[in-house]
Amino acid sequence: MSLHITKRDGTKELFNADKINKSIERACIGLTNPIGMVTQIATDTRLTLYDGITTAEMDQATINASVQNIKEDTDYDRVAVRLLLKTIYKQVVGDYDADDADDLSKKHRESFMNYVKDGVSANRLHPDMVKKYDLEELANTLRIERDELFQYAGLDGLLNRYAIKDLNQKPLETPQYFFMRVAMGLSYNEDNPTEWAKKFYHKMSKLEYLAGGSTNLGAGTVRPALSNCFLMEVHDDMGHIAKSVADVMLLSKGSGGLGVAMTKLRSAGSPLKSNFGGASTGPTPFAKIMDTAIRAIQRGGKKKGALCFYMENWHLDFPEFIDWKHNAGDDYMRMRTANTAGFLSDEFMKRVHSADSWYMFDPAETPDLNELYGEAFSQRYCEYVEMAEAGKLRAFRKVPAQEQFRHILVALQGTSHPWIVWKDSINLRALNNNTGTIHMSNLCTEICLPQDRENVAVCNLASLNLAAHIASKEVNWMKLEESVRLAVRQLDNLIDINQLPIPEAVKSDRENRAVGLGVMGFSDAIEQLGLSYDSESAWDFADRIFEFISYMAIDESANLAKVRGSYTHFKGSEWSKGKVPVDTLSVLEEGRGRPLTVSKESRHKGLDWDILREKVKGGVRNATLMAVAPNANIGLVAGTTPGIDPRFAQVFARNKISGKYFDINHNLVKDLKNMGIWDKVKGDIVEQQGDISNIDLIPPHLKEIYKTSFTTSPFAFIEVAARAQKWVDQALSRNMYLETRDIDETMRIYQTAWDKGLKSTYYLHMKPRHTAEQSTVVVNKAQKIGKLGFGAIKRSTESSISPQPFSAPLQKGLEIPKESPILVSEKAPAQEALNASNVVSVAKKETLEKQTKPRGFVSLESLKESVPVAVADDKPFVCPIDPAEREQCDSCQ
Amino acid sequence: MALIGKASPEDMNLHPFHYQWAYDLYNQAVRNTWFPHEIALKEDLDDWQKMTEEERHAVKFLMAFFNPAELIVNRSIALGIYPYLKSPECHLYLAKQMWEEANHCVAFEYVLETFPFDREKIFNTHLEVPSMVAKEAYINKYMKRMTEDTLDITSTEGKKDFIRNLVATNIVMEGIWFYSGFMVALSFRQRNQLRNFGSMINWVLRDESLHLKFGINLVHNVLEENPELLTEEFADEIKSIVVEGVDLETAYNKDLFPNGILGLNADYVNQYVQYVADRRLEELGLPKVYNATNPAKWMSTATDVFELVNFFEAQNTSYEVDARSHTDKVEDKPKEE
Repeated sequence: MSLHITKRDGTKELFNADKINKSIERACIGLTNPIGMVTQIATDTRLTLYDGITTAEMDQATINASVQNIKEDTDYDRVAVRLLLKTIYKQVVGDYDADDADDLSKKHRESFMNYVKDGVSANRLHPDMVKKYDLEELANTLRIERDELFQYAGLDGLLNRYAIKDLNQKPLETPQYFFMRVAMGLSYNEDNPTEWAKKFYHKMSKLEYLAGGSTNLGAGTVRPALSNCFLMEVHDDMGHIAKSVADVMLLSKGSGGLGVAMTKLRSAGSPLKSNFGGASTGPTPFAKIMDTAIRAIQRGGKKKGALCFYMENWHLDFPEFIDWKHNAGDDYMRMRTANTAGFLSDEFMKRVHSADSWYMFDPAETPDLNELYGEAFSQRYCEYVEMAEAGKLRAFRKVPAQEQFRHILVALQGTSHPWIVWKDSINLRALNNNTGTIHMSNLCTEICLPQDRENVAVCNLASLNLAAHIASKEVNWMKLEESVRLAVRQLDNLIDINQLPIPEAVKSDRENRAVGLGVMGFSDAIEQLGLSYDSESAWDFADRIFEFISYMAIDESANLAKVRGSYTHFKGSEWSKGKVPVDTLSVLEEGRGRPLTVSKESRHKGLDWDILREKVKGGVRNATLMAVAPNANIGLVAGTTPGIDPRFAQVFARNKISGKYFDINHNLVKDLKNMGIWDKVKGDIVEQQGDISNIDLIPPHLKEIYKTSFTTSPFAFIEVAARAQKWVDQALSRNMYLETRDIDETMRIYQTAWDKGLKSTYYLHMKPRHTAEQSTVVVNKAQKIGKLGFGAIKRSTESSISPQPFSAPLQKGLEIPKESPILVSEKAPAQEALNASNVVSVAKKETLEKQTKPRGFVSLESLKESVPVAVADDKPFVCPIDPAEREQCDSCQ
Repeated sequence: MALIGKASPEDMNLHPFHYQWAYDLYNQAVRNTWFPHEIALKEDLDDWQKMTEEERHAVKFLMAFFNPAELIVNRSIALGIYPYLKSPECHLYLAKQMWEEANHCVAFEYVLETFPFDREKIFNTHLEVPSMVAKEAYINKYMKRMTEDTLDITSTEGKKDFIRNLVATNIVMEGIWFYSGFMVALSFRQRNQLRNFGSMINWVLRDESLHLKFGINLVHNVLEENPELLTEEFADEIKSIVVEGVDLETAYNKDLFPNGILGLNADYVNQYVQYVADRRLEELGLPKVYNATNPAKWMSTATDVFELVNFFEAQNTSYEVDARSHTDKVEDKPKEE
């Protein structure tokens, strides 16, 4: 069967293996085993082709072929990146001479100016993008070679998620244009926009920090809705509920996730205000409206809305709230899309500890509770308890506090909801508490900002990539300081450019200028330093690095305040009293009436907090400075571990909107390659689902560093967050991972988190007890249960049924190949990188050149007549087709 | 104690356990419970609009096979497996499995109702397309024997019939045909299409992996208890049942992919079928027949490693439903025999 390619103009041409092999070859330049890789990719690609395949599909097929081999060698990741980049360059920059690196670089620079100008005239980019900048200088600043910093999943994610596209989904920007767009889009108001855009560009394009998702989507465009997080509460009247539904929709449309507090809504059965004897349906049906509303919205046109409901656990309907995410039950009482988080008080945690009762009330009867925290809350709560017991309340429920805590944790284990967030740790430690109570956190449990009828809290995010600040087992502190300062400035710039859809959000954003600088790559960084997540030294490292970042971020905000002025509500804030985040630990301890079980000292020498305390008294530019978001997307783009998360496993699959990606720990691969054992253990690592602890060949010190999230102690997750939380004024998205399903143990873990002063926890990932049968590794269930089955039969003709050591698998209509397919194209640049193991193929070159086959690595035609048949023991012996196997096949060498 | 035979009153006692593995599988199956409505298909519908005719044909063809196939498995269990088992642990498991098959059928039904399909046409496909008719006839042939009065489960021939049917239904249909279909279904998600349908397939696959585990255990335990079945002739016959199943699937896949789509064509899928068939043969204690390598290396991403889901982006399919508010007490735990 002959293969035809459908070209972009619709015409067909005969498939030419040479052409495609050439492009794979180019993508393999400079890598360790180019010939083997080209062969592998070409063979795999060929398997998937069909007659009439389009050119674009063909490009995709080679990319897919590289990607599916990443588990064999991380070099395939680089090939996939290069192949993908090529398709982007072609679409954005146009045709270029693929063998001349300078040609591409030049065209890449030249077309940048058109990209900006065309973007403005097409009304996609903001007019200031042309007006305010020296475009030629910016074009000359672009460094196309930084595209090599990407890993495939990150590049694909960036293009899918953030890159601006035309109506036909064709990308309009290369990755470097993207970084420059974001940098420019945040520099309009600087005195010298071009200079600052260059500085921000360099940071982001080197992946030293990245802006938050909404900023990446909207910066530089005509619709700069740049905030990631919104926090709103719903008040107990129909007008406000209806308005809140509308606000949820408008905020979702702009992009960004929402936290929505439902605590104020009266409970089911509570009398209505109107005097008709009716009763309220409670919060659930109203929540369901919002749950449905966000499904209708495509955030930023790219993903559906995301929202987390918050409720305090003294609400009469809290038991119903716990079940909102249950997978069975009345659909009208279940939230299919929105998430849930319980907002727990210290009073509750103490009652769990002392095995006391817990009372739930109708907020219509206890309206002040929602506004109170600390001792004031406890006092008022106890008064309501007395009223309840005295029969003075219409409705209340009483359960053992431990029972409710168990109920929450059982739901958490089965549905990963509700997340657990602590009201008093958040409010008592707040430096911005002069603007009211914080009733909730946000979608990712890292934001701590107050809200009321007039204010929908807004937070703007960016994240430092810690791993990009490590070199030769050392933190580059100076570079880190520079990154922190630039990131804070960039975040502050954002606020004056930001366009938000509802006035309550605009007000809060402008008056508080809240930002949340986070980190990603924590695990990546400690691995490079040779530390185990599960060790005191890693916790000290967390302590040290967060102290440093906190110090520099606050200092920079104070610097900005000197020039640009303090935020509106600075006066009266704890900042204005010379308080910094670490000072609030004692406030929490006093309010709680018991000490936190986290070490309070500083682990960083040489930061003089007293100087900074004096400085912040004079002003800070931003109500908040730090918040560690999960960074599930920008962490991927930066090619590092998200937030403060541990490695989920050494290999695992990441299920994202932009696709399902195979994630492999490049640090581990590097270490194993250095030891010369990577090839021996890579199969086992997949078979063991990314857990190396049972692989004998791997030495103990590596097993210590490279644990999975399920083999790391859950107390380590808590300790890392607790150390960081000392210095962070908002909070951290603390994902939890558990293997144990013992509820008592789970209770201890979450109680410890509270004891150590965590403000919140995020998803709870349970280790699955059963997963689908694996496909690509050897599976034999009979062997596992020690059974032979029909294998127990004593055969009369034993030898006739024993499997051949090698034989050809069914392969794309091939005859049994007769000669080695490892053809080396004469001009292959790969050839220069030949090493000893390739010598045989070189020797074969002479014979091959005589053939008049289309040249290329693995053209099928050449395969057909070119695999040798070795003869062993007068039995036909056929070489394996799979190049990886072939490498080990003596008869090919 | 024997696994198969005529049920006696003592067989109605769950305790003491004789086949702990079956009880363990039952418990895991309960934890795996899921419901089709947990999957939202709106985004997949958007993908559908963008797919090529060839791709759509493949999806419809798969649905046309799977929907009735789940019911056929149930018939085979009800008529050919369940009645001949004495073990109450196995009955527990099979009851859950049958619910799962029903659930899968309804899940495919849910997809059929949501997508703009000509449902009548899809429902009729398995009655009209020869390659699909042949697959069903193959299963029915072995199942029919199990319903005949002349079958005596206590005789060697009766036990052989039991194994034949079990191999055809569990090993070939569930263990080879379904697996190949899942690979095709998951390939769409690998290209970022039909992601939610992919999540559903993940769940179905998780269930089917357990079905297969049960089936393999059952075959081996029956063989062990009935050594008279271990003859060369019978082993060869079982091998040929598997080979026949592969041949039928090869023909079917040509109808599934008359031409090809990005990343898949009939030869590719058939290489995968052979790869899986070899695995099943070895699990039965038989030698490989095909020596095929796995062409779908990307399946390592699709099924082989843990999946980390951003909950607000995709359905998390690794949750289990039997969280308990109290630590297992000793008496809740099954005792070893």
